[in-house]
Amino acid sequence: MEKVIAMASDPSPVARPKNAQPWKQVSLSGVATIVLASTLPIAIGLFAMLLGLKFELALLLVFLPTQLVLGVIAGRKFSGRRGQADAILQVFVVFFAMTVLVLLVSVVWSVVERGSAAISWQFITQNNVYISGSTSLEYGGLGHAIIGTLLIVALSTIVTVPLGIATAIYLTETRGRTRSTIRTLIQALSGLPSVVAGLFIYAMFIASGLTQYVGWAGSLALIPLMLPTVTRVAEESLLLVPQELRNGALALGSSAWRAFYLVTMPAAKSGLITAVLLGIARIIGETAPLLITTFAANNTNYNPFNGSISTLPTYLYTFIASNFDTAVQRAWGAALVILILVAILFVAARLLTRQKTAKKAGK
Amino acid sequence: MPENSTASVERRSLRAKPFSKADRRFYKTATVAANSSIVLVSLIFVFLMWRSWPAFESQGIDYIFGSTWDNSPENFVLQIGPMLWGSILVSTVGVLLAVPMAISIAYFIVFMANKRFGKIATVMIDLLAALPSVVLGLWGLLVFSPVAAGWAEMLNEYLGFIPIFQNTSGNFLRSPFIASWVVAVMIVPIIASVTREIFSQLDRELINASLALGAGRWSTFRRVILPTSSGGIVGGVLLGLGRALGETVAIYFVLNLVFDINWFGVLEDKGGSVASMILSKFGEAGQDEVAGLMAAGVVLFVVTLFVNMIASYIVSKAQPWRK
Repeated sequence: MEKVIAMASDPSPVARPKNAQPWKQVSLSGVATIVLASTLPIAIGLFAMLLGLKFELALLLVFLPTQLVLGVIAGRKFSGRRGQADAILQVFVVFFAMTVLVLLVSVVWSVVERGSAAISWQFITQNNVYISGSTSLEYGGLGHAIIGTLLIVALSTIVTVPLGIATAIYLTETRGRTRSTIRTLIQALSGLPSVVAGLFIYAMFIASGLTQYVGWAGSLALIPLMLPTVTRVAEESLLLVPQELRNGALALGSSAWRAFYLVTMPAAKSGLITAVLLGIARIIGETAPLLITTFAANNTNYNPFNGSISTLPTYLYTFIASNFDTAVQRAWGAALVILILVAILFVAARLLTRQKTAKKAGK
Repeated sequence: MPENSTASVERRSLRAKPFSKADRRFYKTATVAANSSIVLVSLIFVFLMWRSWPAFESQGIDYIFGSTWDNSPENFVLQIGPMLWGSILVSTVGVLLAVPMAISIAYFIVFMANKRFGKIATVMIDLLAALPSVVLGLWGLLVFSPVAAGWAEMLNEYLGFIPIFQNTSGNFLRSPFIASWVVAVMIVPIIASVTREIFSQLDRELINASLALGAGRWSTFRRVILPTSSGGIVGGVLLGLGRALGETVAIYFVLNLVFDINWFGVLEDKGGSVASMILSKFGEAGQDEVAGLMAAGVVLFVVTLFVNMIASYIVSKAQPWRK
C-alpha cells in the first residue's frame, strides 16, 4: 500500500536496485574469505586422500578441523567473537546434517538399485513353490507374498480404522473423563515393540491351542501397532476443524451426531484418509509379529482364515540370511516392493494434506 | 432481591445430556472404542503375564540379572541379563549417535536450508521414519556392516588403548557398535521429525527479537531456541529410545547375540538385545522356553511402556499448541 501511494505522489522516484541490501557490507576481502573458507578445506582434504589417507580419516581429521579453523577465522573477521561461535555451530550442523542425508540416501539408493535388478513381471506375480535359495531368478517370485500382505493388512485395517477413528472422536468431540488417560495410553502404545504384539496374540490364541499359525492371528497382532498411528493422525485432523463450524451446526439445531456426520467429518475427510494411509504404512513392513503368528508359506493362500500365509516382510526375512546370490537378490526385490508400497501410501497421504493446506491458504 | 430464594430453590447442576437416540449411540460408540484401548493394554499385560508366570516363578529375580540361557531339561536355567544390558547399551549408544544428527538436520531444515531443499529433506525424513525395520536390517547387513566394520577397525587401531574400544577377537562385524549405528539410522528420522515440527512451530518473533538484539546464530540457538524447545526434543529422544529398545529384526541381522555379558566393549563381536533374542529363540523353543521368552516380552513391554509414557508426557507438556 505504502509503496503504491509513494509511487503515485512522486512521479520519478529514485529507483533502487531490486536486490540491494544497504545494511549488508560487501567487501572484496570478505568474499575472498568466504570462498577460501569453503573451498580450501575440501582441497586440503582431497590432497590428504591423495597422500593415501583413508576417506573417513581425511574427512574427520583433516577436512573438519580445517573447516572449523577457517570458519572461525572468517566468522571473526565479519562479526568478532560472536562470529566464531556462529561459525562453529554452522560447521557442525552442516556436517551432521550431511552425514544423515548421506546415510538416508544410501538406504534408499541401495534398495532401489539392487532391488530393481530382481524385479520382473514374473517375480511379482509367481509364488514360491519349489523355489530354494539357489534357484535362478527366472523362476518364482513374491506374488503370493503381495497377496498375503494385502489380505492381512486389509483385515487389520477393517478392524483398526473404525476403532481408531472412534477413539479420535472420543478424544476430540466428547468431554469424556478418561480422555487424558487414553491419550497417554495411545501415545505409549505407539512405542509397543512389535515382537511383543506378536507374543501377545501367540499367548492368547496359539499357545491356548485355539488355532495354528494362521493369517487372521497376524492381522490381530498388527492392530495394537496400527491403532496409535490412526488415532493420533485422525485426532490431529479433527482438531484442525474450526470449533465455529461445530458450534454453527449445533446452533442450527442439529444433534451432535448429525453435526459430526454432516459437518465435522466432511471437513476432516482428507485428514482421516491420511490417518488410514499412514496406519497402513506403519504396519505394512512389520516382520516380527507375523513371524510369530502367521509364519510363512510358499504357496498362494487367498484365505487368511485357514493356514499360514506369506507376506512381503516374512518373504524378505526368509531369503535375507542366505548365502546364495539369487536369494539375496530376491530379498532386495522384496525390499524394493515394500519401499514402493510405503512410498505410494506416503505420497498419497502427503498429496491429500497438501491439497487441504493449499485450500486453506487460498481462502 | 428476596432473601431466602436461594435457600428454598435447590441448586441445579448444569449438565447437557445427549437427548436423541442417535446422539446417545454416537457418544456410546466413541466411549466404548476409546476405552477399549485400556482393555487392549491390560489384555496384553494379563496374557503375557499368565503365559510367562512359570518362568518368573521358577527363575526368580535371577531371571533379570543372571546370564545363562540353557534349555536342556537337566539344567534348565533361563536368564536374560546380557540381553537386557545389551538392549540398554545398543539403544543408549544409538541414541547418543542419533541425537546430534537429528537436531542438526532439524536445525538445518528449519533455519538454514532454502525452502525447496528443506522440503525435499523433510519428505525424505518422514518417508524414512515410515520405512520398515526389516528393510533397514537388509541395508545394515549387506551395505552398511562392511563400511562400519572399517570404521570400527580404525577406532580400534587409533584409540584401542581406551578400554571401550578394545577388541579381542579381531572380528569387527556383528558388534554392538554396528547395531547402534543401524538403530541410530532408524531413530534419526523419528527424533528429527519431532524436533523439526517443534522448531518450525517456535515463535518467529522470539527469534527475530533475539537477532535484532544482536545475538548471533549460536546465542540465539543456545539462549532462545533450545530453552523453548528442549522439552519436546527430550520427548522425541525418549520416543526414539523406546523404538530402539523394542527394535527386533534389524538388530537380529547385524548383532551377534551371546549370553555372556559385554559391559562396554562396543567393538567386540558379541552383544545382546531382548527383542532380537525372542525372535531368534522362538522358532525352536519348547513349551517351558516359550514361557521364558514371554517373560522377556513382559520385561520389554514394561520398560518400553514406561519410557513412552514419560516421553508422551514430556512431549505433550512441551507442545501447548496441540491442546
